[in-house]
Amino acid sequence: MAEQTLSIPQLIAVGLIGFFLIRWLFFSPSSNAGNRNAQASGARQTAARRVDPQQVEQVAQMFPQASRRDIQWDLQRNGGSVAATVERVLSGRLEMAPPSFQPLNLTPSPVAIATTTSRTSTPHKAKYPDLITRYNLGSRVKATEAAASSTSPAPASKQGWSQNKTERQSLMQQRKEEMILAARRKMEDKDKQKAP
Amino acid sequence: MSASVAAKRLFQEYRLLTNDPPEGIMAGPVNEDDLFSWEALIQGPEGTPFEGGVFPAILTFPKDYPLAPPTMKFTCDLWHPNVYPSGLVCISILHAPGDDPNHYEHASERWSPIQSVEKILISVMSMLAEPNDESPANVEAAKMWRERRKEYEELVRQNVRRGLGL
Repeated sequence: MAEQTLSIPQLIAVGLIGFFLIRWLFFSPSSNAGNRNAQASGARQTAARRVDPQQVEQVAQMFPQASRRDIQWDLQRNGGSVAATVERVLSGRLEMAPPSFQPLNLTPSPVAIATTTSRTSTPHKAKYPDLITRYNLGSRVKATEAAASSTSPAPASKQGWSQNKTERQSLMQQRKEEMILAARRKMEDKDKQKAP
Repeated sequence: MSASVAAKRLFQEYRLLTNDPPEGIMAGPVNEDDLFSWEALIQGPEGTPFEGGVFPAILTFPKDYPLAPPTMKFTCDLWHPNVYPSGLVCISILHAPGDDPNHYEHASERWSPIQSVEKILISVMSMLAEPNDESPANVEAAKMWRERRKEYEELVRQNVRRGLGL
């Protein structure tokens, strides 16, 4: 008798009820939310999913080295806690956002737009002074140019470790300067070979 | 306590790097009073558009080094797919294990206390020669490297010359 209780009309009835149940469960709340969004500017729903761009901006200004995307990713994961994100960046544990992460509302403040556009549009513009200026090597460059005719080999930079702290420091400085000047000399020599 | 361990280790690495520096690499504390901030100079690898250049970078070590990796930031114009426009370097050896939710990187490539400043700098040097296209830090540079290699190389060469004041 048990088999007969599952007749075809009953199956259809169960199927229909199931269909409407699923429809009601999954589709009506979202359409309601959509209406609410339209009416009440969607503040709550977006807060749950999205991150306040001002918060992203706030963290990004504190740590210009961290990417906005990673900050947003972290903020989203910890529910928009700026303090927690700052803590993570400070401890060096800010994770990279996975490539699948799509920043939803990347509508940065005008400041951010200005910085990003200036950054993207001028990758060709120099941001840093050259090493000769930075290491104050102008006079030594001229000195080597004057002595260029003799093409003296670079003086062998002193290797090794000094027990004296200040001596170590000055040796280090000296070796850095040598490295830069040697690179410049090499590049100039190459230019000369190319030119004639 | 951990800070003094870190300082000792950094000092030891400084001595090793000074006594036996790898080819084209130089690194040490900016000022020995603060061992947690280093400056490094890296020469561009030969046979690449970076050849002939010298690239300065700042390494910043955490207080719990060598448990956590340092960060490395170039302080020059460096146009490269794996270097953020800010100069920050993005390579696996600078990431602590567990930082990579996608498991792109093997644990062995990532930071661990058995790595060292020397290994970081050598990795960065090989990164200059061979960008990793999988996770670009500078999307524009990555695009240029992929699609307009000539333009990329020309731009890199220009930066090299400018860096040397030529």
